[in-house]
Amino acid sequence: VAVGLLRRLAACAPVPVFPAISAGARDLVQDLQVLPEIDLVSTPRHATVLLVAGWIPSALARPLAQVHDQVPAPRATVWWMSEPAPHVRTLELPPITVTASDDVASAIMQAHRALLAGERRTEPTLLPHEPPAPWKGVGPYGQGGEGMMGGKPYGRPMPMTHPDRDGLELDQLSLTIGPFFPPFPPGLALDVALQGDVVQKAVPAVNPFVDGMQRQTGSIFTAALRTEVPLAEVELARARHHLRWVAHALRVQGLPALAARVVGLSQRLGRTSVPAVRRLRWLLSLNPLLRSALRGVGVIDRDRLDTIGSGPVARAAGLARDVRLDDPVYADLGFQAVTHHDGDCWARLLQRLAEAEQALELARIGERSMLRRDRVESPWGEQSASGSSAASLLALLPALLAGIEWGDAVTAVVSLDLDLEQAAASAPVEVG
Amino acid sequence: MDVAHAAAWTAVLAVGAALFVGTYAVGVLDEVVRQAVRGGGVRVGSALTLPWRRAALLLLQERVGTERPDAVLWALAPALYGGLAAAGLTIIPLSSTLVVADFPAAIVLWGALEALALVAVYLHGWAPNSVFPLVGGYRFVAQATSYELLSMFVLIAVALPAQSLALTDIVRAQDGVWNAVRHPPALPLWIVVTLGVSFWGPLNLPDGNDLAGGTAAEVSGSQRLVWALARAAMLIAFSAMGATALLGGWLGPWLPGPVWVAVKTLALLVVVVALGHLLPRVRVERFVFLAWTVLLPLAFVDLLVAGLEALR
Repeated sequence: VAVGLLRRLAACAPVPVFPAISAGARDLVQDLQVLPEIDLVSTPRHATVLLVAGWIPSALARPLAQVHDQVPAPRATVWWMSEPAPHVRTLELPPITVTASDDVASAIMQAHRALLAGERRTEPTLLPHEPPAPWKGVGPYGQGGEGMMGGKPYGRPMPMTHPDRDGLELDQLSLTIGPFFPPFPPGLALDVALQGDVVQKAVPAVNPFVDGMQRQTGSIFTAALRTEVPLAEVELARARHHLRWVAHALRVQGLPALAARVVGLSQRLGRTSVPAVRRLRWLLSLNPLLRSALRGVGVIDRDRLDTIGSGPVARAAGLARDVRLDDPVYADLGFQAVTHHDGDCWARLLQRLAEAEQALELARIGERSMLRRDRVESPWGEQSASGSSAASLLALLPALLAGIEWGDAVTAVVSLDLDLEQAAASAPVEVG
Repeated sequence: MDVAHAAAWTAVLAVGAALFVGTYAVGVLDEVVRQAVRGGGVRVGSALTLPWRRAALLLLQERVGTERPDAVLWALAPALYGGLAAAGLTIIPLSSTLVVADFPAAIVLWGALEALALVAVYLHGWAPNSVFPLVGGYRFVAQATSYELLSMFVLIAVALPAQSLALTDIVRAQDGVWNAVRHPPALPLWIVVTLGVSFWGPLNLPDGNDLAGGTAAEVSGSQRLVWALARAAMLIAFSAMGATALLGGWLGPWLPGPVWVAVKTLALLVVVVALGHLLPRVRVERFVFLAWTVLLPLAFVDLLVAGLEALR
């Protein structure tokens, strides 16, 4: 009786979902935050449902299986806009697949309830329970190196001491973070050496979307390269994108409830939303703790941004570059580029908030204008048929992250608003 | 059963009941504040049942292990942390006579509990043999060493006017004017300490989402439930201590003493839980800097003023 009651209660709990986000699914997963029935969690260990959102390139198949096996039983996987991996399809359990147009929230809740009611068996692990490499250790603990340390038991280096930034000898922990680390953009994995909380080295792993055959279906910004689109739609999309980024940044800063509120605002965004966005901008810009969390973090000098072209990151460092500046239609609307000067995470937040408000204003006054251009200012920067500036931002990471604390590193990565799919689509850029 | 035994059992039951009601209240409050901040209306009914639904799910979930964890310490760390909170509650007086342990050196005991909390959280991060929890443990050490002196200075400053380290005397000394009024910096400092020791909201650095849950990143099922309960218990213990040492404890008109203690504790809980949803995560470095260069001197001035007053 007790277990039956527990099961009934648990079935009504908000479903803890770990999202493994891949190509083209970031915004759709973010929308789930506003639903009270769903709880997006930050580690697979806290989930019952693994939500695989978006197309998974082959390079992400194994990391995905590793994430899957971390989810405690009872567990289920919901494949949203993605093909279940071949080894999953052979299971006796039919995979739960959801298309873009289906109601993913109800599919998730059904899976959760079926698991707890015992109607669906828990999924078995996908990977064999064995070490990733042979033992190769010497001595009772297999350390195999010098004295108590060193060696590579199971193929992973033991932490050796290295001098840290203060000249102390500290253990260095090597690990890969990503490609499904929720604060990071989908697909980004960093090979990191940590000393305590300090990043010694961080190098992006190979972009998993580079070898992909599928490409992003395209936003209104890429559409404007091919066909005529209303300016108001372009600017609304820009405002929506920036607000979604603000919501993500707030969530990473430990404010999930406020983030959900901003997601809600971005969903309802229209030409009349200027006062609401202005209020948000005012509220956030006056928050002293938010300011202290972001100021002086992830500073990028103007000189280093010289090569990356336009975009909010460049403008937040004082470079008044914007494709729209050369556009007669925008000139008629009185467009002037907003800039900030410090080039840190705080400047990037203020920059995007200001640009969101400006975009809504443009959408309101430029309601009749149409656009079709060879170069478009996307929310990431200049976008043309040959690519976007997204790839060059990725190359900034190693220098940006070395020597700062992990929390700041996460803040800095988020502040760049990287998009690995676009980076892959732009050019065969080698990262890492 | 002799009298001593009966008294001991009553005490255990009283503390157990306080923890049960308190942790449930924390769960409900947190959900209400979350709904209010998120917008779209507060549904009290759903908030009232949410802690039960969440707990039921965690009880049915598997406890996953890691590779070569220190299993004993991993299981003991939440118990130690929760146990410290429970031990802390035993010295909180509900009225001039109603207290589980009217310990003459209560303030000293409190300091010892706080120091051990550091050990419990660090072990919780160290035991799973995994990087994110370990870094979470490191962070807590940095954080705890920064707020502990604050807490001690605040508590010594309230002991001085009472001329006693016993909490019952400290409450009696607030007849007329509360310590929070007598020493204005004390209450804000205590709120920082409360957020710090239970790593809640802006000071949730050890279990933050930038570490994928930090010391709790590898924890699932019942083990995670125990950890969540222990953290809520710590929040209650420190709110109750704040209510007792700074807000006059059981003193108040019309209502009986224990009700006043509960009301004041709940008021502090509301403040702390609300701050948790309104303030962003503080940077570790910034917090350590702020604690040692601004808050600690402030606490010292508070102590100095209390000392001079006591000499008068």
